[in-house]
Amino acid sequence: MNRRYLLRKLATLLVTLFATVTFNFLLFHVLPGSPVQLMARSGHMDAAARRQLVRLFGLNHSLPVQYLIYLRNMIHGQLGFSYVYRTPVTSVLAPAIGNTVILLGAATCLTVVVGVALGVYSASRVRTLTDATITVVALGAWSMPDFFTGMLMIFGAAAWLHFLPISGISTPGLATGLLGHWWDVARHLLLPALTLALVNVAQFSLITRNALVEAMVEDFVLTARAKGVGRRVVLLHHALRNALLPIVTAAALYVGMILGGAIQVETVFSWPGMGLLIYNSVEQRDYPVLEACFLLFAIAVIATNFFADLLYHALDPRVRRT
Amino acid sequence: MNPFTFESTASGEILALIYDALMEYDINLKAVPSLASSETSSNGGRTFTYKLRAGATWHDGKPVTAADVKYTYETLAKDNVGQFGWTLAEFESCEVPNPLTVVINYKVAQAWNPAPLINIVPQHIWGSFTAKELASYTNPHPVGSGPFTFSSWVVGQTVQVDRFPHWWGTLPAVPSVIWEQFDNSDVMVKSLESGDIDIITEVPTLLWKTMKGKPNVDAIAMDSFSFHHIGFNVSQSKKSGANPLIRDLEVRKALCYAFDRQQLVDLCLAGYGKPGSVLLPPSFGNYQEHLPSNEQFNNNPDKAKSILDAAGYAMGSDGIRSDHQGNPLSFRLIAVETTDEDVLAGQICVERAQQVGIKLTLDALDATTLGNIVYDAAAPNWDIFIWGWDSGAPDPDYLMSIELTSQIGGNADVFYSNEQYDTWYTEQAATLDTNERAVILHKMQKLFYDDAAYCIMWYQSKLQAYRTDTWKGWQQTRGGVIYNFTRSNYLTVKPV
Repeated sequence: MNRRYLLRKLATLLVTLFATVTFNFLLFHVLPGSPVQLMARSGHMDAAARRQLVRLFGLNHSLPVQYLIYLRNMIHGQLGFSYVYRTPVTSVLAPAIGNTVILLGAATCLTVVVGVALGVYSASRVRTLTDATITVVALGAWSMPDFFTGMLMIFGAAAWLHFLPISGISTPGLATGLLGHWWDVARHLLLPALTLALVNVAQFSLITRNALVEAMVEDFVLTARAKGVGRRVVLLHHALRNALLPIVTAAALYVGMILGGAIQVETVFSWPGMGLLIYNSVEQRDYPVLEACFLLFAIAVIATNFFADLLYHALDPRVRRT
Repeated sequence: MNPFTFESTASGEILALIYDALMEYDINLKAVPSLASSETSSNGGRTFTYKLRAGATWHDGKPVTAADVKYTYETLAKDNVGQFGWTLAEFESCEVPNPLTVVINYKVAQAWNPAPLINIVPQHIWGSFTAKELASYTNPHPVGSGPFTFSSWVVGQTVQVDRFPHWWGTLPAVPSVIWEQFDNSDVMVKSLESGDIDIITEVPTLLWKTMKGKPNVDAIAMDSFSFHHIGFNVSQSKKSGANPLIRDLEVRKALCYAFDRQQLVDLCLAGYGKPGSVLLPPSFGNYQEHLPSNEQFNNNPDKAKSILDAAGYAMGSDGIRSDHQGNPLSFRLIAVETTDEDVLAGQICVERAQQVGIKLTLDALDATTLGNIVYDAAAPNWDIFIWGWDSGAPDPDYLMSIELTSQIGGNADVFYSNEQYDTWYTEQAATLDTNERAVILHKMQKLFYDDAAYCIMWYQSKLQAYRTDTWKGWQQTRGGVIYNFTRSNYLTVKPV
């Protein structure tokens, strides 16, 4: 891989990050009024108690000073002080990140594997009833909002089947040891992960299908077939490799989309990840937590796109020349 | 989990089981001895002497002493941290004649003693904190002296407390209490119906209706300590951006006459509430002023029209009245967009005002934006808003204090200022005889009502639901079975 290419990409990445950090800071700090006021309203705080809160949250400094403090803290790995939990944001974020990674990891694996498999299957039976059914069902699922699919799942699981938990990450008060705990978490994970996968699977199945269908009529496929290579081998080894580029693009875009979907799905299922944290922080106006969450989401999207760029480079010789 | 700085009702509910206060509210919301076995008042209601229970211990085994009480009161009064600082605004001193006796002195007589709201904390854990450390301390493992010990807290999900076997009182039948946070009301209701949870703190109206008649579920409605109101910007500030016509009492009265409180209850709350009038909801019993219906500015559009005619607001060709200079009676109305009943009420009010020739333009905003606009005390640039209040205590003191002149820049949301009201407030706060106090409170409510700075729409019901096949003996009271000022039900329910 070309070093200049890598450096250029890295520089772009840093500039984007800096712009995001600044925008993120401004977004919450240029809002008129003070977040302390509403806190005080619900609690009947008098002026002295309110001033103390303002100092505690560092809102007594001017905006540029607050910005510099924000940058300095960030370099030290501190993301601020939560208004609601009265604790460093990092300690609120850490468990939430873990839970979101579990959910999104499971959902992503399910989505990509099932999506690509369905796409390949569909392409191998192109223009048959099976192909049409897969396409229509996948499109139908894709066009539904995440929270709606989630609600359908809940009513299916809770109202009729009674076999899967519909809320939270574990059963409160259940003490069953480590293995039992993981089994409990897995049961809680199934519905939200399935919801995310159902909604997003179409992206991969359709893109894979279309890319494959296009690749299958290319000259190199014809050549391979003419040389006597089996249909299945041509599909998986020759056509699929060429069809990977749009799939990688879709995967990079997918990270941004699934993060958005996570907010809805986590809220519906009360899954205690970053999506739920964002939802609650918006409701409780916990700006420092929101800033940190948005920052992490931005970093995730920027980093994914960066890696997608690098992956292109590896997959497609044409990118290397630009 | 910090008993000095917590803000949410949920935290208060949990802390009330972990900590004890000197007094507590029983199921009828009457203050009864708690950590103190007795309370005697002297010095004309300015001094309270408490005998602590012998043998009461902290959850870490150390004895509870009068020094802990002294530390708690003095810290709360001096550092004024969090939402209970206000309760000790008139605190003077605290003496400890012996380890089981505490004497608390106030500067003036206390008609309402805040003791049930003040959780006593152990000095051996908190004593070394500075005010700043205290304000930012999360208290992740609270140690109290209450009937339940802290067990676990998963942020944003669950909190569990377990029965404290060495508690001084009669041990509750409940071995543990687990609070689970639901972020979706439908899921919460389904969880109750399927038996995963035993009781719900608050159920939205529409869902609550669907729960009635479900097997093993009891859905109940009780009076609350809350109201929702339409507030008029009566700020005297020169920088006020309000349409000055809203400061005309006749205009405000006409608007109040234009609206129909019963209609608002029927349409916005599906009937689960009472039509609003004065500042104190019916839960306050005798303290609430009962205005005869002919003294209420309510549901009389003809009267509204005649008031406006008499005040010289002539109807224009566009259906909007204006004053002699041609300034139209046109006002901005703002409400919180996520509070559906308020937005609906706003839409109804726009229509009703239109009928008497007043134009309202409704704008739904998020709570933060609305709060920042409304609370810009120096230059409030708004005309009318819709919002609500919950009382911070089962005593009128809190709700009556909001309208004080001294609260402008604080909690006052319409910037009302009336010297007579302020004087009566101070007077009632020091009037020990409940009947005499009620008389003053009635005068205050009437005065504030007649000034029409608020148009109180309704007193909403507290809607809760619980399972009938797991625990029995949930006693209903004003404010709710749980999630109320009393912890009684947690201590008295029995397994079925």
